[in-house]
Amino acid sequence: MRGRLAGVLPTLRLRLVVVFALVALTAAVSASGIAYWLNRDAVLTRTQNAALNDFRKSMEDNAGSLPRRYDCRQLWDAAEKMANTSQSYEVLLTGEDARGAPCTAASDQDAFTMEDVPGQLRSAVGKRRPVDTGNSYPYHLYWQRSADGGGSEPFLVGGAKMIGEGPTPSGFMRKSLGPERDDLNSLAWSLGIATGVALLGAMLLAQAAASTVLRPVRRLGDAARRLGEGKLDTRLKVSGTDELAELSRTFNRTAESLENRVADLSAREESSRRFVADMSHELRTPMTAISAVTEVLEEEQENLDPMIAPAVQIVVSETRRLNDLVENLMEVTRFDAGTANLVLDHVDVADQVTACIDARAWLDAVELDADRGLMVRLDPRRLDVILANLIGNALKHGGSPVRISVRTEESPSGAGELVIEVADRGPGIPEEKLPHVFDRFFKASASRPRSEGSGLGLSIAQENAHIHGGSISARNDPSPEGGAVFTLRLPRGSAGPAPGEGEADEEAEAAAAREEDDRRARGRAEGEDGKGDRGGRRDGR
Amino acid sequence: MARVPFLLLIEDDDAVRTALEMGLTRQGHRVVTAASGEDGLKLLREQRPDLIVLDVMLPGIDGFEVCRRIRRTDQLPIILLTARSDDIDVVVGLESGADDYVVKPVQGRVLDARIRAVMRRGERESNDAATFGSLVIDRSAMTVTKNGEDLQLTPTELRLLLELSRRPGQALSRQQLLRLVWEHDYLGDSRLVDACVQRLRAKVEDVPSSPTLIRTVRGVGYRLDAPQ
Repeated sequence: MRGRLAGVLPTLRLRLVVVFALVALTAAVSASGIAYWLNRDAVLTRTQNAALNDFRKSMEDNAGSLPRRYDCRQLWDAAEKMANTSQSYEVLLTGEDARGAPCTAASDQDAFTMEDVPGQLRSAVGKRRPVDTGNSYPYHLYWQRSADGGGSEPFLVGGAKMIGEGPTPSGFMRKSLGPERDDLNSLAWSLGIATGVALLGAMLLAQAAASTVLRPVRRLGDAARRLGEGKLDTRLKVSGTDELAELSRTFNRTAESLENRVADLSAREESSRRFVADMSHELRTPMTAISAVTEVLEEEQENLDPMIAPAVQIVVSETRRLNDLVENLMEVTRFDAGTANLVLDHVDVADQVTACIDARAWLDAVELDADRGLMVRLDPRRLDVILANLIGNALKHGGSPVRISVRTEESPSGAGELVIEVADRGPGIPEEKLPHVFDRFFKASASRPRSEGSGLGLSIAQENAHIHGGSISARNDPSPEGGAVFTLRLPRGSAGPAPGEGEADEEAEAAAAREEDDRRARGRAEGEDGKGDRGGRRDGR
Repeated sequence: MARVPFLLLIEDDDAVRTALEMGLTRQGHRVVTAASGEDGLKLLREQRPDLIVLDVMLPGIDGFEVCRRIRRTDQLPIILLTARSDDIDVVVGLESGADDYVVKPVQGRVLDARIRAVMRRGERESNDAATFGSLVIDRSAMTVTKNGEDLQLTPTELRLLLELSRRPGQALSRQQLLRLVWEHDYLGDSRLVDACVQRLRAKVEDVPSSPTLIRTVRGVGYRLDAPQ
């Protein structure tokens, strides 16, 4: 039922208005209907009684005073007299004159003739009833309400027969009920108008009622939406003590506890992030000392005792791993803290890819399909990080050769996109693990608990793509050769600000740098180490 | 190389200082060390090193301030040693006059390569001179004069000017300049170029904010023009 109502009347306001209107209509129509019928009955009965009583009396007076044998002319006179009363009705008298010939006398021959008297009435009037205890007279006064031939004008027609010896005359009267009908019609009109007014009033009231209910509901809805958008300080103004005020109070309490909870959680997350950032930062100084000495050890390896040399080798190689791990951790914390920035430059993508492969001595293991001359504005260091991680990962898990293809595509929005695909011919990645390959410290193979990587490489690659406004996706090649395919997509040129405005821009950039310098100085003076004011520098070239 | 490079290493952490001193000495450098900025400035005046390796986070006056103070009087190369590769630190370091920077934990070989690259910038080469308006670049004497006055340029600034003047009117990309001047690999930080160009403009241009000699070529890099 609710569902159907909601389907037909989609809004609460409409539903309220319709229900109000229906109630008002029912009440008004039944009240007016009853009033109309009671009124009609009373008016008609009164008119009818008055007319019939008058008719009976004047019939007694006039027709009763006729001689036992009368002629037609006397009958005419009697009819004239009878009609001449305050009750305006026409009279028709019919009987037999002294010679026994039928005679019909009418007060108004044109308006009321014998044809106007219904046959039923005529026979009822003329019918003689046996006189007994329940019926003291052989003839009665009968009446009937009828519309005349046209059907528009209603009439009251009554008739009676004189009681007496011989062929007594019968009398008929006809009274127009036009004035009564007009009165009743105007009453009906008034009632109709009153009903309409009541209906209109009900609808207006419904509107007002809907507004008083719906305004707070809408406010509540708006507040809930804002809360959903993350504006946790949203509160409602509570006024009154009704159910809606109670609802608002509940909303406020909920929002407050939500805000507290979120603040609590983000404070905890912030402190744990800060811990990781501080920790990896603190690790750097000892790592610098260890790295520097490790190189000395490495160079001296041949001169060392063969018993000690393997130990030194382990120290050297593990130091390098630890170095990479700290480096990656630093990188991750920079992304988490939002302090990672782009240093954009116009570069030839093919050159960058070649240089990346070349620098890591991967040239023999890689098939590169890239045209020179594709200039893209991006951060070359970050592109290198992405490529090194993707290619290194492919070589580690898929084996050589790794195929790299560089091309541009039109993205759905119409902007150009740089697409770099890195495909290997390895076993691929199990489908259920595909969504997790970019997770931190995720290892695709549980049998390799201590892989050579830090477990952060793909996650860092993904973050580096995101900061360019791009993304990396992973899939398996469905062709028989198989293998995992990583696709890097970067917007062409939309990353960062548009190419600089020449000298003016550099001025702005220098000014910005000076400003940050000042801020840093202030930050130090306040005893911070600049953590709070590091972010936000965009390359303005 | 004609002589052993003489370095001043300013680093407050004992272990790092000792380890880097050991590593750099093994690479064939002569190294003196200082544990604070004040000591470092004193040693600079007393010993006149060829190059300074400067830690940023120092007790007392920090590395940026040391850098600024050195630049007031001396044009010797400075390599910053920063524990944070956060962009803002790098920018502030370059603004305060450093020629190059390395990020901790640094590998000894990388630091050595940077040091040698910086040292090479001061080497003489061909014997000719070029004139750009009021600016005269004497390649044999490795001097630059503006309106007859000697300009104090760091070796990096000088090398940048030389590379630009060797191809007058031709735009050089930041990556090209990084390879030519800084001898960085393909991953050089292009902000090194921008910072150095700013400093160079401050010295050679009449109005540094509206340069007429070293022009920016939008989307490419920089170009040296003779003023019309």
